Amino acid sequence: MQAFTRHIHPGWLIIAPLMLMVIALYLGPILNILWLSVTDPEPGLSNYAKLAESDALIRIVWTTVRICIITTMFSVTLGYSIAYAMVHCHQRQKNYMLTLLLVSFWISILVRTFSWLMLLGRKGLVNGTLENIGLIAEPIAFMRNELGVLIGMVHYMIPYAVLPLLVSMQSLDTRVMDASRNLGASSTQTFWRIYLPLTLPGLVASTLLVFILSLGFYVTPAVLGGGKVLMVAEYISVQLLVTLKWGTAAMLAAIMLTGVLAMLWIMSRFMKLSTVFGGAAR
Amino acid sequence: MADLADTGSLQVRNVSKLFGTFRAVNNISLDIQKGEFLTLLGPSGSGKTTLLMMIAGFLDISEGDIALDGSSIAQTPAEKRNFGMVFQGYALFPHMSVRDNIGYALSVRKRPTSEIRARVDEMLELVQLQDFADRKPGQLSGGQQQRVALARALCFAPPVLLLDEPLGALDKKLRVEVQEQLKDIHRRVGTTFIYVTHDQEEALSMSDRIVIMRDGAIEQIGTPQELYEQPVNQFTASFLGKSNFIQQDGKTYALRPEKIDLRKGAGHAEARTSGVVRSITYFGSMQRVIVDASDGTEIEVDIDVWRNSEALNEGDTVDLLWKDEAAVELQTG
Amino acid sequence: MHDRQFKKEMLQDSAQAYKKGRMDRRTFLALCGASGVAMSAVMAGDAEAAADHVVMWNWGGQSEECHGSAIGDAFTAKTGKGLKFDTSGPLEGKIKEMVDSGNVTADVADADLFNAVSLGPTGHLEPIDYSVVSKEKTLPGYALEYGVSIILYGYAFVYDTEAYGDNPPQNWADFFDTAKFPGMRSLYKWANGSLEAALMADGVAGDALYPLDMDRALAKIKSIKDNSLYWGSGSEAHSMVVNGEVSLGMVWQNRGRNIENDTDGRYKLVNNQAMAMPGAYIVPKGNPAGAAVMDFIATAQEVPAQLALLDCLGMTPSNPEAFGQIPEDQQPYAITSAMNIDKIVYNDPDWWGKNGGDAVNAFLEAIS
Repeated sequence: MQAFTRHIHPGWLIIAPLMLMVIALYLGPILNILWLSVTDPEPGLSNYAKLAESDALIRIVWTTVRICIITTMFSVTLGYSIAYAMVHCHQRQKNYMLTLLLVSFWISILVRTFSWLMLLGRKGLVNGTLENIGLIAEPIAFMRNELGVLIGMVHYMIPYAVLPLLVSMQSLDTRVMDASRNLGASSTQTFWRIYLPLTLPGLVASTLLVFILSLGFYVTPAVLGGGKVLMVAEYISVQLLVTLKWGTAAMLAAIMLTGVLAMLWIMSRFMKLSTVFGGAAR
Repeated sequence: MADLADTGSLQVRNVSKLFGTFRAVNNISLDIQKGEFLTLLGPSGSGKTTLLMMIAGFLDISEGDIALDGSSIAQTPAEKRNFGMVFQGYALFPHMSVRDNIGYALSVRKRPTSEIRARVDEMLELVQLQDFADRKPGQLSGGQQQRVALARALCFAPPVLLLDEPLGALDKKLRVEVQEQLKDIHRRVGTTFIYVTHDQEEALSMSDRIVIMRDGAIEQIGTPQELYEQPVNQFTASFLGKSNFIQQDGKTYALRPEKIDLRKGAGHAEARTSGVVRSITYFGSMQRVIVDASDGTEIEVDIDVWRNSEALNEGDTVDLLWKDEAAVELQTG
Repeated sequence: MHDRQFKKEMLQDSAQAYKKGRMDRRTFLALCGASGVAMSAVMAGDAEAAADHVVMWNWGGQSEECHGSAIGDAFTAKTGKGLKFDTSGPLEGKIKEMVDSGNVTADVADADLFNAVSLGPTGHLEPIDYSVVSKEKTLPGYALEYGVSIILYGYAFVYDTEAYGDNPPQNWADFFDTAKFPGMRSLYKWANGSLEAALMADGVAGDALYPLDMDRALAKIKSIKDNSLYWGSGSEAHSMVVNGEVSLGMVWQNRGRNIENDTDGRYKLVNNQAMAMPGAYIVPKGNPAGAAVMDFIATAQEVPAQLALLDCLGMTPSNPEAFGQIPEDQQPYAITSAMNIDKIVYNDPDWWGKNGGDAVNAFLEAIS
């Protein structure tokens, strides 16, 4: 007992109940999902075997990964430009931009999704205008396909991409950029050799955030994809609510969880993750 | 060191900087010799950093012109001026090693790797950091970071080195040490140093010449000795060292505390004034005595402890003596 | 399971003790905490004793109002009990989860009859008490052990009269014929109705659909995939048509009238070969109001309730007594009206209850 108390700081005892609660409330359901994935409908790895057997499942996973990667690339690139502009413009314009950014957070995803239909749909504003001025004969299929899903998702994700980048850029010591110029570096050189590496933690944070959030996308692909772009999140929901194949749902959830953890692990090989999540850079 | 014989003089001509209607720098003219160690000294808000930033090219000049060796650089962007700079807080590149920091200027100029390597080694030796080449700035002490910043700024052999309060972040003991190193490096590289500080001791101990600034304008320019011995006005006199101000015949004179002779008792023939000792403060090498003079003013006197073995007590009556040349007549205002 | 049951009973006893003042609030809350049960859940369970109302689990929106006026008022008049709503949508997975968790808060779910086939035998539903509910007041085959059809809705289609004015599409074969009827079409995303339509288009007779030939149906679906959009909710189906995204749209027949109105008659409803879907009331196992809910279901079967549901929601009566009383202006949109009833085909809840999950997945995989 003495050895026990010697090695465990008494402070732990104070937070122990909370920690146990976190473990119970957070790890519990995750373990439950993992458990379900190997027990429902019967014990064994049959759910996972489906991944190998079913082309369709692989296709759904692949569609999801592909769309998430493209969404992340565009969101983060656009987000980077927006954050850059916000950091480098006047305070008034910056407040204005920040307000717009936050307002878009408050607009429901359904409203945003259907707004895109009104704007870019077959009979939408853009197609209507282009047809009226005679630029096109047939409406351009922006919506109800993968392009539509991407447009909707990138639009939704940009604010999420901007915020970590904004924090990262704002906390930069601007004198470092002055130093680079002073030492003879052109703006381009300064950007690639100083600015980008120093905002890399923000860039990684933004990428992870957007990618992981994209994996859970459901409404936008369902509506803007015209039913033809099936992503994992929607498929899981169908398995849970409609077809009652909870084992399949749990298996896919477990795969996604593993995928995200693997991604974090690979990232941690290249950089200290604590810097990404706001810890001190060393 | 690189040959800098022919370059490095700066001409500042009627330069002003306006922020809105506020004149942060007001019509300053200044000639800086090549190889000179020139200090811009002044309290915060005096415009010294603004002037330095205009020389560096980070701030546009509102009025006037700045020239290097006689040709204007007002339109040359910062990255083309080839001035080294040591920033306040150093502004080292945290993601690069010491070696890459120092070699940065050469690397962006696309110089061959071997040349960069050799030159960086040379700089590492100059600032005594040979063993730290592969560390990141975050792994160095404040003094070491300061030296990296210096080496980085000097690596491309700039004709002019600008230093913006480079010792501000160091503790006092280290600061004195680094002052010595800086002076030594200045001697060895022969580059023009323009040094901004609000610390009068730093300015006095390092500079060839000091420019005392206030409210965007120059109060006085001169060698440390000139400024100390011959302050032109009350501001200079009190900003650089301590000074008593004596009113006589409608004129004001500055009188340094160490130039006053204090005699115990009253009635000395050459006594300029007399008074009563109010307080004595012991500083080791000297004592500071505050005397309530008979005319109601307060006079500070610094006396060598060892030369005045005679015990002095608060409340003692004393006579104060000084030579004519010790009192410097000041411009009014 | 026994353990959970025990805890629940213990807490219900405590709840009564608490109400009578024998136990102080803190002791009661501590007990609740110890059993890991939220207090509200216990109180809801406590309603079993009082049962002064039944809770209907539906999809909210207009149906809340309509179910209240069409059934709730008559039910209250008859039994003195009230009607409350849970509008979170009784999907099969949610019913299963509610019953499995032991925290049943709904008495009757506005669901599909095939849910009764899949959830009944697994112990998630209460059997329908046919001494209170009538087997005669619904279509034959639609009064099952664990659920009874109260209304019918149908998979029909609308077409763009401007696109196909002179020679309009008549049946599912035309709907699937992209050569004769070019343009985009929309189908239901969760397979139901879409599979039957595909088979009929491929030449299978309406009364010989089941068991569904999945391969044949999916091949037909895939053949028009490039010209198809798929909707997941009634409002989505509606907007695809109204926004002109499709020239031929499969819709729930009860939306037909609104679509015709919203497009000023440009789109027209076709009820030929409409697939009648039995919407059913099912009772989650261990429902709080107990047997009282059977009175409610019986009330919903009555002709006035049936006609009110048609009027309010556009849902077609399933009680044959009501068929003849459908008002004239509603007849084109009610699939069991005299003008439509001979042209429609009937969904088999048994097949869907047993094969629905696999069918939905196969369909999703085919269209994605």
